[in-house]
Amino acid sequence: MTPSPRMASWLQVAPMALILFCLVLVPLALIITVSFMDYGFAEVIPELLWENYLDIFTSSLTLQLYAQTFKFVAIVWAVTFLLGFTIAYYLVFHVRSGAARAICFAACAIPFWTSGPIRMVSWVPLLGREGLVNKALLGMGLIAEPLSWLLYSEFSVVIVYINVLTLAMLGPIANSMSKIDHSLIHAARDQGATEWQIIRLVIFPLIKPGIAIGSIFIITAVMGDSFIVKQMSGGQINTAVGAITTELNAFQYPPAAAKSVVMLVIVIALVASILRLVDIRKELAK
Amino acid sequence: MVNNNDKMTRRSLLKGAAAVTGAAAGSGVITGFPTIWAQNIKDIKITHIGQSYSTIKNIQEQANKDLGFTIEMQTVDLTTQMNRMLTQPKTIDLADVGNTSLRYFRGKNIVQPVTAKEYKWWDKTVPLFRDGTYPNGQKASLQGFAPIKSQYYTDAKGTDYSMTPTEWLVGVPLYYNADTLGVRPDLVGNVKIDSWARLLDPAFKGKVALQDGVNVGVPDAAMALEANGDVKYVDKGNMTKAEIDQTIAKLIEYKKAGQFRSFWTNFDQSVQLMASGEVVLQSMWSPAVTEVRTRGIACTFQALKEGHRGWYIMMLAMSHLEGLKRECAIEYMNWYNSGWAGAFISRQGFYNTIPENVKPFMTPNEYAYWYEGKPATENVLNPFGKVMEKTGAVRDGGALWDRMGNIGIWNTLMDEDRYLVRRWQDFIAA
Amino acid sequence: MRDTGQRRPRSFYFLLALFVVYMAFLYGPMLCVFILSFQGPTGGMSFPMVGVSLHWFEVLFGGAGGQGVGDMHNSFVRSMRMAAIVAALTMMIAVSAGMAYRRKFPGSDFVFYASIASIVMPGIFVGFGIALAFNLLGLEVQWFSSGIGAQLTWSLPFGLLIMFIILGRFNPSYEEAATDLGATSWQRFREVILPIILPGVIGIFMAGFTSSYEESARTSLNVGTGNTMPMEITGLLTSATSPVLFAVGTVTTLFSFALVIATLLITIGIAKRRQMRLSAH
Repeated sequence: MTPSPRMASWLQVAPMALILFCLVLVPLALIITVSFMDYGFAEVIPELLWENYLDIFTSSLTLQLYAQTFKFVAIVWAVTFLLGFTIAYYLVFHVRSGAARAICFAACAIPFWTSGPIRMVSWVPLLGREGLVNKALLGMGLIAEPLSWLLYSEFSVVIVYINVLTLAMLGPIANSMSKIDHSLIHAARDQGATEWQIIRLVIFPLIKPGIAIGSIFIITAVMGDSFIVKQMSGGQINTAVGAITTELNAFQYPPAAAKSVVMLVIVIALVASILRLVDIRKELAK
Repeated sequence: MVNNNDKMTRRSLLKGAAAVTGAAAGSGVITGFPTIWAQNIKDIKITHIGQSYSTIKNIQEQANKDLGFTIEMQTVDLTTQMNRMLTQPKTIDLADVGNTSLRYFRGKNIVQPVTAKEYKWWDKTVPLFRDGTYPNGQKASLQGFAPIKSQYYTDAKGTDYSMTPTEWLVGVPLYYNADTLGVRPDLVGNVKIDSWARLLDPAFKGKVALQDGVNVGVPDAAMALEANGDVKYVDKGNMTKAEIDQTIAKLIEYKKAGQFRSFWTNFDQSVQLMASGEVVLQSMWSPAVTEVRTRGIACTFQALKEGHRGWYIMMLAMSHLEGLKRECAIEYMNWYNSGWAGAFISRQGFYNTIPENVKPFMTPNEYAYWYEGKPATENVLNPFGKVMEKTGAVRDGGALWDRMGNIGIWNTLMDEDRYLVRRWQDFIAA
Repeated sequence: MRDTGQRRPRSFYFLLALFVVYMAFLYGPMLCVFILSFQGPTGGMSFPMVGVSLHWFEVLFGGAGGQGVGDMHNSFVRSMRMAAIVAALTMMIAVSAGMAYRRKFPGSDFVFYASIASIVMPGIFVGFGIALAFNLLGLEVQWFSSGIGAQLTWSLPFGLLIMFIILGRFNPSYEEAATDLGATSWQRFREVILPIILPGVIGIFMAGFTSSYEESARTSLNVGTGNTMPMEITGLLTSATSPVLFAVGTVTTLFSFALVIATLLITIGIAKRRQMRLSAH
């Protein structure tokens, strides 16, 4: 007896659904409950408190935090998209041998196997006032004094995001690109299209699913990060998640919970709107 | 040494051990441990959790050599430790907790008291912890979370702190120190660093750093703001909402003017900032200063006229301990302050609460340098054997009571912590 | 554009240059870690290099006086063990779930958004939520239950997204041919689909492995006693400040490098074998 297609899907997705339910939804429900509670010193007092949410919706801090967060998202998205697209294009359409391409991709991934915190530490000898970059610039006579904004600034945060996240955009885009039927490209070229026209009119429209997935990765990664921001800004930049982490470290769970809920709603809304623009699921449903 | 075939009562063991320890003190050999003998203590494992300046592998090794049961140390960062203690208390037995975090455990039945009788060194503990006074009789500052505020419980249940001595100790005090600003004397030029106000001096714009967080960074900032005349406080260590507002407003001004280079979150960052010359003045811990010096870079832990920022660490017993395991835990606590471990940590610049016990385990030169503020008669080594100070150097700030006797504020967890954290968010976002 | 024998357009050189610059950028921190791990015994954690030595590697492996090296060995083993289990579980569960999404089914949106929510929630909060849930249920927090569970909340959604990508490029004609020949759905999966998507599936395994190996926020509260590698390293950062940390970085990188090479060889091996089987027709 073969199960109906619907049944088959349910069975296949069951383990994942179960794990997500127990380990994500139940804790989420707990978090939502806690967000309405009062708190003392590292203790949650089960009394209804609206203040946590009230504070979020009425204070300018929230605006500042999200403004900063979205600023980072926008810049990182733009740069990783440009970089990711260009490099993916290079790897998929210009590198001729499959082996070379595979090696290049692997090479892109290797740096990520060095532990995150350790890599963070190594940015200081690179970007600091006495760091390699400043020394090089001074040596080449391009600057008279070391640049201090290379480190512990928005710049250093963005640089590290780009370093860490370009691959997340590159991968999905490259994957979409490699799906493109070559006969389309040959046809375009036979019709006399320049390379740029091919990119714009043939390739770009066909890789939208890849761009969408990559964008989802970037947005969730940047919006959900507190570690990179804290380390690279020297604790001087606050973002939506940064605020949550500060409160968690002070064991003030209810306001942190409230902020998390708000952030979750915002991110889900963003992701949903991306998916509306580009229907990835159409690719999969038969 | 105790005959291991005799079955003895705990009290007689302690008495015997104390006598033996006393006699052996001069030779620097640890004897008198283990004082508990039972067939099954070798199966007992005590989990001791703490930060990396107190749970050090060398100490674990020595403990396992001297005691009949197993000690397992776990080094974690502060947040993880707090979270573990709060949500998984049964997974640990003993925890090192500093004065900034003690308050989280008050009245929650997560930790249990240790009686002054069980802790054999209580009478030898420096008076700062026993009754809040210095050896010269003066009372220690109460600004912030001073030791006497959190040393005693009112009763065996351990729900409330008592500011007068009782027999129920909150925990065994291990180390304490007087922190101050670390300075790069070679980079500050001609400016004399004698006051916390220098932290806000425009001459050092972009070259100062503070420890991140409200429990240490804010007290430091408060010292500086008060010294600079920017804000007036009643108790810097326990600010009112109005004082908090003023503090944050001023800090935002300075931040926008570019005064601060960074707020460091861990030890390594503070060392890097100083060693690389990114900052010339910052709040720092003693071992960090030691580490920078070990690299051959000039760094002083500058005594300032408004006083130091004081802190201390206590070892707390988790409430689930009972029976034989509890006895072993107490045994370990007693061993920890019997001298070997204390000497080890003293070489990082922290003071042990029982200097008498530590003395036999240090060379006369070391003890004189670290505790008495005397010039070194030979090179001073850090706990791992590297040279940290050359002959003739004097410890910044002088002797134990020169430094600990001049505390401007203790690390703290304020009543208005909730409000402070909220306002601190505003500060970081500015 | 990939025809061999054609002259390379000018754009190729521009793009090649960009690629090289990107590589340099990407490898910068890692190379710093690598170089500094050979720092001389008296050197610090930044340049200049005070001599070159293997000193810090000796400290790492020999524990000479334990200069704050902590419990590297045990935490490494612990991390490896967890990572292997998490990777295997992720692979099986994500592949299964991905296959489910080839059809429309009620609840598919729900599971998808639950996955996104899982990635987006700050790790510390997911970790805390799980620890709290376990506590309330009176269960003890252990590495093989709550620890692995917490890590799965991170790796499974990514596994699912990767499956979307893999299946998105999957050509259904082979599968249809198999059905026409009378294959059952299990046969279809095992003989046709799986071999084709195998490189991607191995990718999911590797992604699961790495994400587990690196994960700390969700794991730290749920692992019970005993640190994982990232927790050990973070613990060290709060006090240890010697280049031993860089030595750790170098060693773990080399280890991961070896893993990737192994994966590559396996993937190439599979591709070659498939090539041979196809050309044998």
